[in-house]
Amino acid sequence: MMRAARGAVAAMVLIAAPWIVAAIAPGQQRYILHVLIFTALYGALALSYDLVVGHVGSLSLAHPAFFGIGAYTAALLATEARWTLAFALLAGMAAAGLAALALGVPMFRLTEHSFAMGTLGFALVVQIVATNWVEFTRGPLCVTGIPKPQLGSFRIATLPAFYWMALAAVALVGLLYHGLTTFRLGRAFHAVRDNEVLAAAAAVSSLKYRMLAFVIGAAVAGGVGTLYVSYVGVLCPGELTVSLSVNLLVMIFLGGVGSLRGVLVGAAAFTALPEILRMAPTWRMVIYGLLLLVIVIRFPDGLEALFRRRAATGA
Amino acid sequence: MHDLAEQLVHGLTLGSLYAMVATGLALMFGVVRLINFAHGEFYMLGGYAFWYAYGELGLPYAVAGLAATAALAVFGIGYESTVIRAILSRSWHVQLIATLATSITLTNLAILVFGAQPKEVPTKLSSSIVEVAGVRMAWQRLLVLFAALIVFGALEWFVTRAKLGKAMRAMSQNREACAVVGVDIQQVALITFAISAALAGGAAVLVSPLFNIFPDVGALLTLKAFAAVIVGGFGFVKGAIAAAFLIGLAESLAGGYVSYAYKDAIAFVVMVLVLLVRPQGLFGRRIGI
Repeated sequence: MMRAARGAVAAMVLIAAPWIVAAIAPGQQRYILHVLIFTALYGALALSYDLVVGHVGSLSLAHPAFFGIGAYTAALLATEARWTLAFALLAGMAAAGLAALALGVPMFRLTEHSFAMGTLGFALVVQIVATNWVEFTRGPLCVTGIPKPQLGSFRIATLPAFYWMALAAVALVGLLYHGLTTFRLGRAFHAVRDNEVLAAAAAVSSLKYRMLAFVIGAAVAGGVGTLYVSYVGVLCPGELTVSLSVNLLVMIFLGGVGSLRGVLVGAAAFTALPEILRMAPTWRMVIYGLLLLVIVIRFPDGLEALFRRRAATGA
Repeated sequence: MHDLAEQLVHGLTLGSLYAMVATGLALMFGVVRLINFAHGEFYMLGGYAFWYAYGELGLPYAVAGLAATAALAVFGIGYESTVIRAILSRSWHVQLIATLATSITLTNLAILVFGAQPKEVPTKLSSSIVEVAGVRMAWQRLLVLFAALIVFGALEWFVTRAKLGKAMRAMSQNREACAVVGVDIQQVALITFAISAALAGGAAVLVSPLFNIFPDVGALLTLKAFAAVIVGGFGFVKGAIAAAFLIGLAESLAGGYVSYAYKDAIAFVVMVLVLLVRPQGLFGRRIGI
């Protein structure tokens, strides 16, 4: 009961955030909402990444590519063919999912490091294509003038509207994440992650479940890419760099691999921290790198371990 | 015709570079079963060390080159005794993420310290041209090929004749048995990292006068060297060297005749093709130094 009540209050606070922010910090409303939108989108993206890394144990570095494929599909369809958001979103998700399926066939023949390197190679190739195929992606000139999304007669153009869109997205992805990782399917995922041989002996095909998580994760990443470009309005090849993988790794390891709450907390901490500290981007990456190094060596369970310990001893 | 010959010489230069970096990766994997994602950054650091010694301090090429290589060997020892020792007993996930984190940190530190603009370090050898059988090339390219031959010859001698080299080979075959008969495992790991880092630094000293030095040169280089390690059969050093030359030549020919913009994708394409046809690598899957 207490948990349900707390959850309902948290949900109401999140939904009412634009008004709360307006009441508390009227001058900073736009900036705070912008950070919140990024936090929600990053949260959804980190969840889709954790589905692959945290639940089936495949250390993919191709996530920026799937994010980018979804984003480019949607951006080009919206600018060239005037597709509306709903269709562009579906197309972006489908394109990213299909790319993952096609990539997964050769990549899942690889194990461990080779899989990571192979997916990293794919991410680099996608970035090279996005930069150099100028006639199609406009290369370094970027895709500009991406229209604001339209849902029926409702136009998402104001910051609060974008905030609710991002909030709905992270809530939906959270539900999907919970559904996929909790029940029978979740147990199959974890069996594959924890002991492939034993899972195979129990007729749980590691390839099938890994591929499933990989494709769903990629499709969600493509969807987040779509929402991202519809918010930002511009898409450049620089959005697809390897450093996005590093950011996602920092988020899920900071918060706690394989945990819904942990990943969301990690994403929130990751997005809010540099905004508060106002660091230069290069310093930011140095600090993220060191942070990731320290976390993965000293605190591999992240903040989630802290929450669990408090729950076990305190309440 | 001369165009083709020039592309081949360029391919061999690239191959020498990739082979020296890939050898380090394969040695590390052979001895401690770990993939160092920060290996390309060793090359990058070697390049900056050389730029500092040659371009800023004005030391002669040979002295500056040896100093930069030695500096990298020291860096390799430092890296092994801090980061690597903390993650050796951990799962491959942790190892991979920790070395990737090191790579990101080093790249961005380099941007902060040296700036994002590429550094040029032309030498007398890189700016004077020699004509061999009608093919024009910089002396530096000849030096790269010649030095690569000497380095690989010396390495072959070291791992088959020298006591430490034999210990490295033994460790790549059976770690527990080495510990049982009293091989100092930590010392061998330390030496392996020193040699691997020195190889990357030496490669930077050799090719930096031809190619520029910039902070994020490492990411693609790690990928290409790793592609060579996979194509050559995981952890098999001679296979990795052969595959590195294959990738260098493929890249140079594709860059010259197909598309310069997409040349960096070649290594990845070669890697995926080989994995689809021969998942065990071109020379079979056996670990051996």
